[in-house]
Amino acid sequence: MYQPLLANRYLGSRIIPLIAVAAVALCVGLVIIVVSVMSGFLDMLLNSGRTLMGDVIIRYADPGIPHYDLLIEEIKSRPEALAATPVVESFGLLKLPYGNRTEGVQVWGIDPASFDQVVDFKDSLVWKEAPPEVQAFAADMNGLEVPVFDDLPRLDPGVDGGDPGVILGVEIDSAAKVRRMDGSYEVKAPAFWMPFRDVEITLIPISTSGALEKPDNRRFDVTNEFQSGVYQIDSRRAMIGLDTGQRMLGLEAAPIYDNRLLDETGELRRIGTYPARVQMILVRAADGVSPEGLRDSVNLAYAAFAARINDEDTMTIRPPDQAFVGIRTWREQLRDLIGPVEKERELMRILFSIVYLVCAGLVLSIFWSIVHEKTRDIGILRAIGASRPGVLGVFLAYGLVIGLVGAFLGALLGWSVVVNINGIHEAMGEPAPDWTWMTAFALAAVMLATAIHAAIRGGMLRTLLSIVGALVLAGVGTALVLHSGFLMWDPAVYYFNSIPNQVDWSSAILTMAGAIVFSVLGAAIPAAKAADTDPVKALRYE
Amino acid sequence: MNASHDQSSSDAAREPVLVASGLRKTYRMGRVPVQVLKDASIEVRSGEWVAILGASGSGKSTLLHLLGGLDRPDRDGGMIRFEGRRVSEFGGAELNTYRNRSVGFVFQFYHLLPELSVLENAMLPCLVPNRWLSATLPLLAAVIGGGVGAAVGSTFGVDILPTADAPTPAKIALLAVTCGVLGAAIGVVLFQLGQVVAERTRLRHGPQAAISRNTLEEFGLGHRLRHRPSQLSGGERQRTAIARALASEPGVLMADEPTGNLDATTGREILDLLKKRHDAGLTIVMVTHDSAVAEYADRIVRLEDGRVVESKA
Repeated sequence: MYQPLLANRYLGSRIIPLIAVAAVALCVGLVIIVVSVMSGFLDMLLNSGRTLMGDVIIRYADPGIPHYDLLIEEIKSRPEALAATPVVESFGLLKLPYGNRTEGVQVWGIDPASFDQVVDFKDSLVWKEAPPEVQAFAADMNGLEVPVFDDLPRLDPGVDGGDPGVILGVEIDSAAKVRRMDGSYEVKAPAFWMPFRDVEITLIPISTSGALEKPDNRRFDVTNEFQSGVYQIDSRRAMIGLDTGQRMLGLEAAPIYDNRLLDETGELRRIGTYPARVQMILVRAADGVSPEGLRDSVNLAYAAFAARINDEDTMTIRPPDQAFVGIRTWREQLRDLIGPVEKERELMRILFSIVYLVCAGLVLSIFWSIVHEKTRDIGILRAIGASRPGVLGVFLAYGLVIGLVGAFLGALLGWSVVVNINGIHEAMGEPAPDWTWMTAFALAAVMLATAIHAAIRGGMLRTLLSIVGALVLAGVGTALVLHSGFLMWDPAVYYFNSIPNQVDWSSAILTMAGAIVFSVLGAAIPAAKAADTDPVKALRYE
Repeated sequence: MNASHDQSSSDAAREPVLVASGLRKTYRMGRVPVQVLKDASIEVRSGEWVAILGASGSGKSTLLHLLGGLDRPDRDGGMIRFEGRRVSEFGGAELNTYRNRSVGFVFQFYHLLPELSVLENAMLPCLVPNRWLSATLPLLAAVIGGGVGAAVGSTFGVDILPTADAPTPAKIALLAVTCGVLGAAIGVVLFQLGQVVAERTRLRHGPQAAISRNTLEEFGLGHRLRHRPSQLSGGERQRTAIARALASEPGVLMADEPTGNLDATTGREILDLLKKRHDAGLTIVMVTHDSAVAEYADRIVRLEDGRVVESKA
């Protein structure tokens, strides 16, 4: 078995195979980094969507779904559903407590307890306690009361009155705090820290006939801030209490009067109650139940709920026809966001598949030159009795080792970059430390001295390589001096506030296997040429 | 006269080990066919040293290549027998075995592998045997590695799929196949690494290593075993090449101008070395253009224009 011995010696005695290994590793590493970030991005989008909306969303815009409590009861009676929560939704104006700023926001009215059961809302609350800089500020302000954060803040005012509460998306207020690269927040201006302040929210109710009614403006205590991880949500959404939201939007339970009849006191006769309504119900699936399975169950639940209401004579307000009610999984609900990202990822996979051809071409050209150079060795092997498949095996083994070592080094490179991508990004966001550019210039000076020395000694190659090295190092040093720090991944542009840092191992394994296969294929043609070498011709001339 | 008679009678008593008759070989120089050998016949007896003498272009190297199984005669271009077997009708595998076991080649330009040490070069024919096992074992390693990889891929594939990729049977199957490819590659490379270790052990401690080491020590190369060919003189390289040719203890040593690239003194040393081996019973067929070198042989076969014109003891 001379093949492993020769492949081993050929690998160890030449620089070209090492260059091939490095090239394969770079190709594989590049694909792993790009596809992992894209996959991570997609995963974050999907996970955030699920965390924001639960597994299934029932949606019916104004005038909303009446008797929603009965619908929730019906849904929760089914084994596929773990929890359900009602939500009212509208667009409104938020007036911030400084700078006379008013922002357009999406307002959700929620019931914190059931909302938490569906979307783990508690985990998304930013402030578990006042940060040290706020506590220090409060102490300086002669005992300014520091808010205490409950697990789940109360949003609707209790029987004792007081202002209702609001939980703001953490990116709505960008003046008082800055986001650190690890995703946490540092309060730069404690005086403007939101939980110390009040905001005003204005909502415009819409009548059951679709007309705009008188705007409702109220003052809210900021009880906390939430962070979903999706920038567009965190910068635009405010959560208020369900009751408050229903009242402001005219969706609360209201008496129905017959304007043709008067009662004993001369007032219009009350003939019933218009039930409270919500525009959305979010449902969470029981463990092991797919969103699609839950959606089917919710469809059946809605049909049963509608039949129950329609069968009762006392119910004068009927639920909307099921055909007009959107019952979708979170994936279907977010398809406008998910679809393009999925397509982008697939496009990236296809485009970067060209890397495989690069591997094959690279290995082929290197092996072609090696086979040409090793023609005499092949002749010797054939002369001492090596078979054609045996000679083929030497070069295939050689290609296999290059592909395998390159693929694993590439995976290591990809993994190192992906898991540290936020740290790398953070470092790129800062100006380069002085020692980096000083080291680069010092090394450039050493290379220049080497070039001069080599020129005096008459070594052309060494002179040239040293000059190139000095120029590259001087260029790196200059770039480091000029580098003032920039963020490639601006959360204001991208949905998420950090770069995904999980390796997509399924794509990584596919890429590694592809690189190995194409490296072996690249080696196969020169190897076949080697196997076909005529020993007499190979040995004829020195 | 008596001695000559004794020699002739002992030649007659010895069996012919290699017989070639009516050999014809034609090469094409572009579109022009050039007949290099024209009805050449030769007989080599066991233990005999035959020198094929001829001018450049007379066809002597071609004749040696045909006798050594490096090349084949023209269709219906004569017959070669080695120990009674028809070499000219051997298939590829038989011819490989013939070159590996029955004959040993020494070339004018040594033709050592530069990446291997002196000992490794000398042992090379022992590493080459074309056993079916040597071709099957890497395949077996690939199949076992591929099977393990596919099993791991199909079992744990679901766990490594991103949330965005629904674990459909097609995706799990693709993962199993890719893990299988990785496993097969790892299996083959691990097998090769094992082989490298095994070969190293064999090169140090195996019985073949002992034979080659003894030969090299006999040739005065005991202190050069770990050196590379580039670190040797011309004479040392040719002695290494002879040790390689003798490694598999062949029936016939084929030497093509073995002193053609050496100075006169070193050339004589090489010829003395061959003579010593010949005296111990080695059969040698040597091609040369130098009649002084040919004088070392028991018999000189003169070749002119592709034909044997004279054969004399």
